[in-house]
Amino acid sequence: MNSAYRTYAAKRLVQAVVVILLAYVFTFVVVSILPGDPITNVLRNPQNGFTEDQIREIIAAQGLDRPVLVQLWSSFSSFLVGDLGLSMRSHRPVATLIAEVLPSTLILAFAGLVVALLLAVVIAYGTRFLPKRFGQGLLRGFPSLFLSVPNFVIGLVLIHLFGFQLGVFRVIEPDSFWATLFAAIALGIPISAQIAEVLIANLDHEAGQEYAAVARSRGLGKARLFAKHLLKPSSLPVVTVIALTIGELLGGSLITETVFGRTGIGSLVQRSVSTQDLPVLQAVVSLAAVVFVVVNLIADLTYPLLDPRVKLLGTPERRPATADEGSSTISQAVTS
Amino acid sequence: MTDRFFSFSLSRRRLLTATSALAFAALVATAGVSPAHSADGGDITFLIDSLGDTWIPNNSAISSFQGHIWGHVTDKLLYVDADGKVSPWIAERWEQNDKATEFTLHLKSGVTFSDGTSLDASAVVANLDIWYAGRKKEGINPIGLFPKTYDHAEAVDATTVKVFFKKPTLGFIPTLGYHGSILISPKTLAQPATDQADLSKTFGSGPYVVDSWKEGDFVKLVKRKDYNWGPAAVGQTGPAHLDSITYKLVSEQSLRVASVQSGQADVAYNASPQELVSLQDEGFTIATPRYLGFVNGLAINTKLPPYDDVKVRQALQAGINRQEIIDTVYTPDWKLATSFIQSNVPGATDHSDLLAYNPEKSEKLLDEAGWVKGADGIRTKDGKELSLTLHSNPYLATSKSIDELISQQLGKIGWKVNIQAYDVVTYGEKVKYGGPAVPAYEVTRSFIDAGTVAGILTNANNGENWFALDERDQTINDLRDKIASAGSVEIRAPLLDELQKYVLEQGYFIPRTQIVQRIYAQSPKVTGVTYNGVAYASYYTATKSE
Repeated sequence: MNSAYRTYAAKRLVQAVVVILLAYVFTFVVVSILPGDPITNVLRNPQNGFTEDQIREIIAAQGLDRPVLVQLWSSFSSFLVGDLGLSMRSHRPVATLIAEVLPSTLILAFAGLVVALLLAVVIAYGTRFLPKRFGQGLLRGFPSLFLSVPNFVIGLVLIHLFGFQLGVFRVIEPDSFWATLFAAIALGIPISAQIAEVLIANLDHEAGQEYAAVARSRGLGKARLFAKHLLKPSSLPVVTVIALTIGELLGGSLITETVFGRTGIGSLVQRSVSTQDLPVLQAVVSLAAVVFVVVNLIADLTYPLLDPRVKLLGTPERRPATADEGSSTISQAVTS
Repeated sequence: MTDRFFSFSLSRRRLLTATSALAFAALVATAGVSPAHSADGGDITFLIDSLGDTWIPNNSAISSFQGHIWGHVTDKLLYVDADGKVSPWIAERWEQNDKATEFTLHLKSGVTFSDGTSLDASAVVANLDIWYAGRKKEGINPIGLFPKTYDHAEAVDATTVKVFFKKPTLGFIPTLGYHGSILISPKTLAQPATDQADLSKTFGSGPYVVDSWKEGDFVKLVKRKDYNWGPAAVGQTGPAHLDSITYKLVSEQSLRVASVQSGQADVAYNASPQELVSLQDEGFTIATPRYLGFVNGLAINTKLPPYDDVKVRQALQAGINRQEIIDTVYTPDWKLATSFIQSNVPGATDHSDLLAYNPEKSEKLLDEAGWVKGADGIRTKDGKELSLTLHSNPYLATSKSIDELISQQLGKIGWKVNIQAYDVVTYGEKVKYGGPAVPAYEVTRSFIDAGTVAGILTNANNGENWFALDERDQTINDLRDKIASAGSVEIRAPLLDELQKYVLEQGYFIPRTQIVQRIYAQSPKVTGVTYNGVAYASYYTATKSE
């Protein structure tokens, strides 16, 4: 297993590096073919009163009139040695800009994930064990409801209700505990839907299995059955879904950050896209690529821990989960 | 192994207990944080929609967002009030030679930057030099509106600066009160661009200093206790009253206004004109100060048919109902244009008669010019429709609504108006004065001295040639030359009046309304705010009651 694992890990690592470098180049190409750049945009603002000659002179002094390939190579070669360069918009180092905003996004994304998981488990538990008269069936509708309400709507409702009406938090202090909690709720609700959906489907599947019937026949309580016997086998596909939702956490945090006025990666991206701040965009896209690659790797490495049947033997490239019995349920749930 | 992962167990009772505990906690929190009067009376929070792009002083000083911060962190050589009146500030007095090519500035003594450097003649020279030239290779731009005729400046002694120009530059003195002309510590100016871009490393001599800041989030300013050189014109020279001002970025317009309404902040910047009436009814202070500059209007491309015909341009001038624009799009806080420059600019004269709405006159002019109304109401000549493309100005939120209204008004006379709205980037690329597909360029532009206007309108000395006249119109060029070489305001005033009349009569510039680009919705607790010549609010003189 060890040598197979090493080959596997090495392959994945090379793939990851290639993905990150391609993401960097791709961002450059996409942003370069758009007209304009942050420096010219500022100079062209009629308030600034620059003449065409002055604009040409400043652009030339900044090296922005060089051929695109030359510019790509100069930025790519410094990226290779770990230099993310300077923001064209603010003239500050890109690494500093990212370091300033990253903690806020990580806190929000993590809190959002916790909210999503809690909600998903509560809903899934409710659909199995809540008495019918308390709306067991109704709970099954929650995931579709959560998915169909965009998170900015949830965010605005929460802000108006808890921020302005009840005064639980001050809207202009978005980093306070309560503001962060409500932002996490807005972010977590749509994501909980996907996790809950998969969890419910798998709970239904596992509950029909013989071992569950045996456990019940031994007189095991509902809660014990849920926590000790059903939750673990059902959570295998949930790990896949969580890995997939990392993307949504990043994307969703962009919207949530804007609505709640938080300063994070999302708002940095928003500002950089609107001003075509290429070095920052390249760095953020590369960072996102790193996050995706790492998260997927972690997800793959978690399977053997959850399911002893999954082993990294001779066929490392294949997703271990596809060998699993419940795969049809999983893929259906994931694609739905 | 199972136990290692899930050693907790859930029961309905425990779940219920947990839920009710949570609900109770939420209730307690709700009650605990309910609106209460804060004890820190001397602090205000200003909600702004953006904090701009960069903090390099030269690159950001004109931008409307950073200007709010610079106005408190830095001083200027001269003060220009909302009526364009120039008065002493760091420069106590000044002299010029007869030709307006040499100026002498006498500085206040004892003024220091907040890094301890003294604001003396050599510091002023360092500032003048970087305003004029910047350091382009490093990415530090010159100040675009600083006179391009600047030659050099000398420190005669510690408090005397002599400034030399290649040509008469009457506009130099008012320019010193313009938002770009902020005095920065020479130590800061000597730093590379990356350090200048870090606001906490930039030092001015103003009544506030930067306490902390985070890009895209907030800037917190605190009072400088030893400040003692404010502009006499605002009636105060000592330290400011408010302990701190926090500029907080809230990009959602509705959230900014709602936060001020709910008492969570003191000032909301850039509320929409439609919200102002209800805010005023609720007791909030609304300020719509006007800046010194051009009115909002259209610069006509005289090279592009049919606008090469003076009659068509005059028909356009008479065919726009400007009062209806104010009634429909704005509130009575906005004023009718009386010229192509704002009425508070010194030297602006009233030409309302040339801007009266007169559709009959407009139709008559078009008839004379050979444009015949067709069955569909659109005029044609030689098989071509009378069309006008308006490119809505992305820098002015109300621009498109006005274009739509103008489209209706001109439609009645026989025009076919197309409205083209681009984003800022595309607009900058495609829409230019005199561009091949741009019959009318929408102007929003501030300036501090009317003397610079003529140079902008024509193509002389890298002028912007707004009407694409090149050298074809001798009258406007003569006026431009006479205004540029005028050695005193008295000689210049009648020439400026003539220029305004001529440009409007010829239909070169079609004013829409006087412009208000900065709108402040403010808590009634805050009083004593002053607005300068470019409509920035200064809280230097302001106080806050509990």
